[in-house]
Amino acid sequence: MSDPRDNVQQEFLAEAQELVEALSRDLLLLDEAHHRNERIDPALINELFRSVHTLKGIAGMFGYRHVGAVAHALEDLLDDLRLARTSVGQQLLDVLFDSVERFQRLLALEDPQSPEEEPGVQAYIAAVRSIGQEPEEEEGDPLDKYAIEPAVLSVLTEYEEHRLRACIREGLQLYRLRAAFDLAAIDDSIDTLRDVALDDAEIITYLPSLEGGNEDTIELVVLLASRVPEADLKAHFEGRYGAIEAIEERTHLPTLPPRLTSIPSAAVSMRAQPDEDPSQASLRSVANSVRVDIRKLDHLMNAVGELALVRSAIGRIVDRFKGESAHHQSVMDLDRIGRGFERQLSELRTGILDVRMVPLGQVFNKLARIVRQAARERDKQVRLVVTGADTEVDKLIVEELTDPLMHLVRNAIDHGIEAADERTRVAKPAEGTLAFNAYHKGSNVVIEVEDDGGGMNAHMLRETAVARGLLSADASHELTRQEMLNLVFLPGLSTTSEITDMSGRGVGMDVVKTNILRMGGMISIASEQGIGTKITVTLPITLAIIRALIVNIASRTFALPITAVREAIPYVPEEVHTIQGREVITLRGETLAICDLARLFGFRSTARKGGRFVVVGSMGNRELGFVVDELIGQEDVIIKSLGKSLSSARGFSGATDLGDQKVALVLDAPALFTEYFDGPDALQALETRL
Amino acid sequence: MSLTQQKATLVPDPESETGAVAVLAVLAGDEAYGFPLSVVREILVPPPLTEVPRAPEHFLGVISVRSQIITLIDLPKMLNLEVEQTEPYGRVLLVDNGEELIGVAVDSVIQVYRMEPEDIEYASAMGAELSEYVVGVGRVPSRSSSDAQDMLILIDPVSLLGG
Repeated sequence: MSDPRDNVQQEFLAEAQELVEALSRDLLLLDEAHHRNERIDPALINELFRSVHTLKGIAGMFGYRHVGAVAHALEDLLDDLRLARTSVGQQLLDVLFDSVERFQRLLALEDPQSPEEEPGVQAYIAAVRSIGQEPEEEEGDPLDKYAIEPAVLSVLTEYEEHRLRACIREGLQLYRLRAAFDLAAIDDSIDTLRDVALDDAEIITYLPSLEGGNEDTIELVVLLASRVPEADLKAHFEGRYGAIEAIEERTHLPTLPPRLTSIPSAAVSMRAQPDEDPSQASLRSVANSVRVDIRKLDHLMNAVGELALVRSAIGRIVDRFKGESAHHQSVMDLDRIGRGFERQLSELRTGILDVRMVPLGQVFNKLARIVRQAARERDKQVRLVVTGADTEVDKLIVEELTDPLMHLVRNAIDHGIEAADERTRVAKPAEGTLAFNAYHKGSNVVIEVEDDGGGMNAHMLRETAVARGLLSADASHELTRQEMLNLVFLPGLSTTSEITDMSGRGVGMDVVKTNILRMGGMISIASEQGIGTKITVTLPITLAIIRALIVNIASRTFALPITAVREAIPYVPEEVHTIQGREVITLRGETLAICDLARLFGFRSTARKGGRFVVVGSMGNRELGFVVDELIGQEDVIIKSLGKSLSSARGFSGATDLGDQKVALVLDAPALFTEYFDGPDALQALETRL
Repeated sequence: MSLTQQKATLVPDPESETGAVAVLAVLAGDEAYGFPLSVVREILVPPPLTEVPRAPEHFLGVISVRSQIITLIDLPKMLNLEVEQTEPYGRVLLVDNGEELIGVAVDSVIQVYRMEPEDIEYASAMGAELSEYVVGVGRVPSRSSSDAQDMLILIDPVSLLGG
């Protein structure tokens, strides 16, 4: 793990991944602008070009030959695009979108040089190259009309020159801004300038003026193009940056000056020139952030857990000496220190948890690509609406969430949203809407995937379940509409596409549900025929640490996540009734099903008669009472996975170390609920009920 | 993973010219087993055990080793051997199966043997019905008489609860 080459490799992969994600994001923006027939922001194309260019550079350094080759071809294509030698069209967008998937596959290869990939890569490169160049119309150089200093013109890159011409053709006025910048903060200042200018104007280039500046400052000449009247620009820039003047059209045509070579070296290094040495590009970090392996955070979290044990040991010592007057002052001091320690500890823990959090927007961006692709495959019009993309959730959850959500999105587009003509026929807008909504709710995060499609046919689902022998015909008539909808989560119901096509949902909802449950989450479904379907996924914000109720069952210690617990009440055996083969009690006039955990786990309860408790759990709209022997108290616990070998053990989401090498299993409330209400026993109970 | 790949886990000691393998011999329920020494990370006095309800029978439960939760298995049960388990196990081997650390409960540790290739009879060559967790059988000098040999059941750590 500490092999430096490995670390460097990881570093590369992380950076490459970031670039590909940026590429994907920018492509979506480009796609959207194209489809709306909006003017395409040249800065966007330049960003795309830069991502690919940097990727090419670092791939070369790390021997990712295929990645480098693909990036190289794309770089040429994007260069043509930004120089307007080709234009944005469907074919070009498709090729670019393909690249995202392709990069991700190539980056995942164990052998980055693998010859097996060669044909695919070559075919793709051929596809990229096949997108032809369009000749640029030449109608006399518009630059000739302006009095721009030869020294400036001669150092423009091809791209800058192109943008300059394009701006003139679009009828923008050219301006020259002279401003002094602090040498120490020059990068920041230029970024600020860019931010300020971007709405009103485009910065063509900036370079140091040959005369200005002193030891600490440098005077830059910034060439701007803008539609904004001169007076407004003056108000904006002057005073803040320096003098601004319009560059007038001149009346006679000059001859182009010869290219100068004696440019100060500072000019080259300060400009984000795309032809820089690639190793330079990779050395510069994109933002004020560090990338951290999540395992390092787990390690820190473990250390915090150990500290918590130290803290409780101090507490015990304080308790032991509290009565003794001899050391009264020292014990009080120790107590105070202990409390201070605890406060800092909880801050430390919050801090570490915070670092693990990432915005759900990361997943939504990936999904947006799937939406686009699926809509195109199915020839449907889909508008994507995202709210709450900045809702944060544990990195591990984000990773685990992508696949289930992808499934839901595919289903919504394949089976939910109707084709445009069908939608028009039922007086819906031709363009379907798919919405991702995310928000926090208590210590959970809620993610909704909602479509305004045809909705699910509950009766069809029921008939399918009966036809497949998952449910007896008699039992099926007892089902409420919601229960019929929930049948979609049964394994074996939605495995054949022709049947699910009719029922309105696709394959693998059982798998989706299993994945969500494994993360300690819940999934629910609401659907109205003709109106649409909403799938709601509720997840804990973090998997790493939870507040838990510690209980004893048959002299063994277990932890029950507090998020699932509503209350605990004494267990009175005399009040237990049996209804339809299930034990229930009455709580405030409502019937509550109870589940004796000792019996479920095959233990013999050691509690004295009448000394037990019912812990009332609540999940979504369901409630279930867990009968336990003893309540120990509440504690923050670090959940650790049970490891692959025990992943088959039902009813536990992990284990936690209670100190002194004592391990408590963490009860998996969602799984226990599912087992009780929806498991094979539950279906049996449903049958016996009739 | 093919069978041959799975069983190729007895990596010869790189320092040995003859291709000898270092094997840790342990006793569990009247049988002697051998683990490639290269995968045994630690030998522990058994820490407190936490049972996992409704887990398959060969899982004894989980233990905590320096805050890490580790699954403890019962070797004879895992191999479907009928054993009268009366004594509590005396040692725990921490074995790296390439994916996670697994605890193996044993009665006692015998010693480390250097086994030459000719001492090992691979399961594939024996054609016998052996558990998937067994690489083969190894012969080592007997501990009771000088001219006899003892048999070691050689365990394949990769298949042991691995992928």
